[in-house]
Amino acid sequence: MKKSLLFTYGALIFLTITTALVATSIEVSTLAVGLIIGFSAVKFILVAFQFMELKKGNSFWKVSLSLVLGVVLLSILLLF
Amino acid sequence: MNTLKIDYKNIYYPPGGILMWIIIFLELITFGMALIAFVYYGHQEPEVFHLSRLQLNTTFGAINTVFLLTSGFFMATAVQQFKENNIAKSSFYFKLTMLGGFLFLILKSIEYYDKIESGISLETNMFFSFYWMLTAFHLIHVIMGMVILFWTNYGMTKKNSDTLTEDVDACAAFWHMCDLIWLLLFPILYLIF
Repeated sequence: MKKSLLFTYGALIFLTITTALVATSIEVSTLAVGLIIGFSAVKFILVAFQFMELKKGNSFWKVSLSLVLGVVLLSILLLF
Repeated sequence: MNTLKIDYKNIYYPPGGILMWIIIFLELITFGMALIAFVYYGHQEPEVFHLSRLQLNTTFGAINTVFLLTSGFFMATAVQQFKENNIAKSSFYFKLTMLGGFLFLILKSIEYYDKIESGISLETNMFFSFYWMLTAFHLIHVIMGMVILFWTNYGMTKKNSDTLTEDVDACAAFWHMCDLIWLLLFPILYLIF
């Protein structure tokens, strides 16, 4: 079992627990929403780059995926 | 068994294959647009969205996130084992991956049952229209993913298997796509309103 996969998995679980803590302990505010969306973006990138091995892929795919994620999450943050 | 090294740096051969990545982008853009529309309507009716969101079981959502992430971890390990020609180990991790998906389905069914029992349907309000549509479409993808996982695992473990690394990569990419969609759905549906 690759150490990098285990480390990624640990980071994903840590971020999930942190997101749950932020969502339950902080009043719904722009800061809380920003943190929750930010943690989700990090988890998304970790899954795509580490589990899906996109880190080994051509930059075109890395940039395109990051752009789609950025546009969706930025639109959501701006609308919120 | 084909153990040919794939040149992932080539723009035409991303891990999982170019066709799978086109599907992934189409899915992410579709779900992304639906989520943007969801937040837009939430801005129009903040009270309705807040009260509706409180009726969702955040704990179930968080546990389902852990199930999918754990399943994704096993999937990535299964691919790695397959590439090292450890087919038996890879098959074992495939089964663990399917178990994660199965647990997700069970918890989602309990959640749906609770909602139906409480009389919450597609027509309750705008929040729940989005909730049912988005989570149900995601659920269909998880079920499809489990069928693909089962079929790939069956193919690679039978005698004279002709399963290629590309096949396992594509199967894994589809499964991880379910993770990616859920990572967007969970916080926006369950947490922010």
